[in-house]
Amino acid sequence: MLKIATVFVAALAVAGFAKAATITNKDADTAVLVVVEGESRMEVAIAAGSSEQVCPSGCFITTPSGDRIGLEGGETVEIVNGSAIIK
Amino acid sequence: MMIRCRARAGLFARCLMLLAFLAAFTGAAGAQTATQPAPLQQIQQIQKQLQQPAQNQTPAASAAPAGDGASRSESSAQVSAELEQEGAELKKLTAAFDAARDDDVALSELKVSVDALARQILTTSAATRPRLEEIKGRLSELGEPPAEGQPPEAAAVTEERQRLMSERNDINALTGQAENLSVSATRLSNAITATRRTLFSKALFGVTQISGEMFSTAAAAFSVEMQQLGRSLTSWVSFSWSYKRVSLLGAIFLSLCLALVFLAGSKRLFASIFRRDPEDDHPSYFRRLSVAFWSTMLPTLSVAAFAVTSYLCLDGFNVLRSDIAPLVSNLLGTVVAVLFVTALSQAVLAPAHPHWRLVAVSDSGARVLTGIIFTMVLINGVDYLLAEVSEVFGSPVVLTVVKSFFASILIALVVIGASMVRPLPPADDDLNARARRWPRYISTPLFLIGIALIAAALTGYVGLARFIATQITITGAIAVVIYIGMLAGRELSRQGAFADTAIGSRLEKRFGLSAVALDQIGLAASLGTYALVISIFVPLLFLQWGFQIADIQSWAYRIVTDIRIGNITISLAGILAGLLFFAIGYSITRWFQRWLDSSVMALSRVDTGVRNSVRTGVGYLGVGLAGLVAISAAGIDLSSLALVAGALSLGVGFGLQNIVSNFVSGLILLVERPFKVGDWVTTGTTEGFVKRISVRATEIETFQRQSIMVPNSLFINAPVGNWTHRNRLGRADIAVTVGYDANPRRILEILADIADKQPQVLKNPAPMTVFAGFGDERMTFEVRVFLADIVSSIGVRNDIRLQIFERFREEGIAKPFAVEDVVADADAATTSVAPAPAASAAVQPVSSMPPVTQAPVTLPWQKAPGTR
Repeated sequence: MLKIATVFVAALAVAGFAKAATITNKDADTAVLVVVEGESRMEVAIAAGSSEQVCPSGCFITTPSGDRIGLEGGETVEIVNGSAIIK
Repeated sequence: MMIRCRARAGLFARCLMLLAFLAAFTGAAGAQTATQPAPLQQIQQIQKQLQQPAQNQTPAASAAPAGDGASRSESSAQVSAELEQEGAELKKLTAAFDAARDDDVALSELKVSVDALARQILTTSAATRPRLEEIKGRLSELGEPPAEGQPPEAAAVTEERQRLMSERNDINALTGQAENLSVSATRLSNAITATRRTLFSKALFGVTQISGEMFSTAAAAFSVEMQQLGRSLTSWVSFSWSYKRVSLLGAIFLSLCLALVFLAGSKRLFASIFRRDPEDDHPSYFRRLSVAFWSTMLPTLSVAAFAVTSYLCLDGFNVLRSDIAPLVSNLLGTVVAVLFVTALSQAVLAPAHPHWRLVAVSDSGARVLTGIIFTMVLINGVDYLLAEVSEVFGSPVVLTVVKSFFASILIALVVIGASMVRPLPPADDDLNARARRWPRYISTPLFLIGIALIAAALTGYVGLARFIATQITITGAIAVVIYIGMLAGRELSRQGAFADTAIGSRLEKRFGLSAVALDQIGLAASLGTYALVISIFVPLLFLQWGFQIADIQSWAYRIVTDIRIGNITISLAGILAGLLFFAIGYSITRWFQRWLDSSVMALSRVDTGVRNSVRTGVGYLGVGLAGLVAISAAGIDLSSLALVAGALSLGVGFGLQNIVSNFVSGLILLVERPFKVGDWVTTGTTEGFVKRISVRATEIETFQRQSIMVPNSLFINAPVGNWTHRNRLGRADIAVTVGYDANPRRILEILADIADKQPQVLKNPAPMTVFAGFGDERMTFEVRVFLADIVSSIGVRNDIRLQIFERFREEGIAKPFAVEDVVADADAATTSVAPAPAASAAVQPVSSMPPVTQAPVTLPWQKAPGTR
């Protein structure tokens, strides 16, 4: 049983703690998001169907539909029809 | 109890020390910092940023239909209020930054607040998300407005769409406001960092022109300052004596009492720990270390207690004046620091107790070194005090610079002197030789540091010189404490070291702990020592190097909550929480298992096999559940585990196939229960009693007491024989061969009689005797008896054989002779008979045990009695 515990702890350590927000573009076109993180304001293009990890410490994004959304980091966001759906 | 007392006392001591150091050094840091122009541009930029959100918001607010207050949902209103509050907070912080740009401590605290605010802004704006989702959902339900040429929609729909659109705009405007606020907050945070960096480098690398004029100005200023000091001290003392005599004396008396109680109490409590026994010629290294540690800590602690309480008392009784208070606090802080370093040097070098010295220096060397260290720390302390005096009386900066200049030069000279002394004992074989110098790798750096200090001071880098001079003493002292603490920790973890300590021997006597348990406690104590030393003294070291408490707190917080590597965030607190939950789940599982097994199932007379299966199953289930709980407590996204699972499944395909197959087989064994613990099983070449069924392998103990781990898949994929599956009933066969001159009927009768009379043989099924076959030289008979417990068959067969032998001899049927040997080689008969059974007895005790699979040893009977 101790061995199992060890393995478990190892798995715990290995598994990783992906905390950054993951944005997936479900649309057929490339989505261009404006990401404001810290002091910087940048445009991030996400190709159709691909995912991008942004802002581990939280940020604001502006979706193609024009909505502005605050992310605390750790969210999973899907871009559907140019607007964001947060899971 | 003893440990706890000790730990508490140590902790308290360190807290006090931290306070004392803070009091001493933060004040001085303030004195060092030169004034500088504000980073005006940054402020203006931030203020501009702050005005923006207000402008942004105006059109959004006006976009909402007039009088449509209800359209703005409650959550939006709340978010808007919160954002406004946060904006005001940020303005306040910006103003505070503007005011505190010269104060490193205030700046570091400001930065923490600003960072927290930035986080809070994010959280606030995230609160609008659900409403935005709702609006979007509703809008998509309403659909697009009808295009031209299409029939118009109902007015209510148009109105609702407009209302929703306006609210959506509203929320977006709010988020935009939050975005701007967040950017401003981050900008402010970065500006604070930049300002602090400039402050530090200005204080450290500021250049002063060294000239004769400077010294004369300073001398004049110094005499003025001293007069001021004298005046204010006398006025304060006379005032206090005349009007607040009782308070003054009371405060001093109270603090002295506390310090004495503390000193006496700790000496009484810990006398055995830090008293050097002059008669002990060879104290162990650990003992020397702990004596050094505690004899540094306890006096420092007492004096720190005195310092803190006397300051608090004086302050509380309103005896202190605003000009006297910083002087008193700095004086007390300096005294504590000087005492700490002196006590430490005494502890390590022990000039009067050569046997208790921690480092290998000669007696004279120890004396010289303690003197040097005391001089250095005294110079530093006086320098600090004088700097504080200058600050209190608002003396010209040049005076502080000149004081630090002299202090640095003096310390440099002491350091150079220290590099030239001969502290090392003479080589062992040469008693008349002079003491040796430092090794080159110590003396050269010391000498160079001294020269560098003088050079820095002379070229005008007085701030730098003073900083280095201070660090040499204070950082050196802290480093030495860390080193001693680490050594003590290492010594504690050595085998048997803890048992030798006072606490260890007391624990041993009181609780009768074993050596192993004591070693384990020692290991824990050693880890605890490491943790204590690192968590107390490393921050102290950072404080020395110009970092502020707020910085260290935020680092510690960040280390505990999130360590970020790229996109991956690791939270130590999360991992610890996970481990804690796992441990709790594990203990609950174990307890539940025991309770289920010993209470529920034992009382219900559940079959042992079922009990074992249930217990094991519950165990694995519980551990699995605990694991899941722990994973979620640790904040690990289980979806990221899916990746690991994917990788594992590939691994299973290749390398882990066997393990998984065994694991699954183990589960099947637990459910199907083809055998249970204690069963006598046979599989392949392995035979013996089942000792333990675990999920990967089953432990089988052979009759020779050899443990064999059989992988579970073998039990599933191959036939398994179980002698004791449903019951322990079994048949034992005994073969008997008799020469052809005997009467087979009589033989059968005798055999049946013997079998019937044997008490362990079952009557039903009845024993059976058969004439099994005709051999070349003899007839073969078989006795087949059923036994209630097949495990005891070897004894029963032995008894039956003995009785057969005795009955045949009584009846004169035949006498036992080795037929084969006689037939094969008649001449060698007598010599070869004896070893045969002996050998078989020696080699075959195990394999002869199973009664059916292996033919029992037959007794060869001589056909013709005369051939002996």
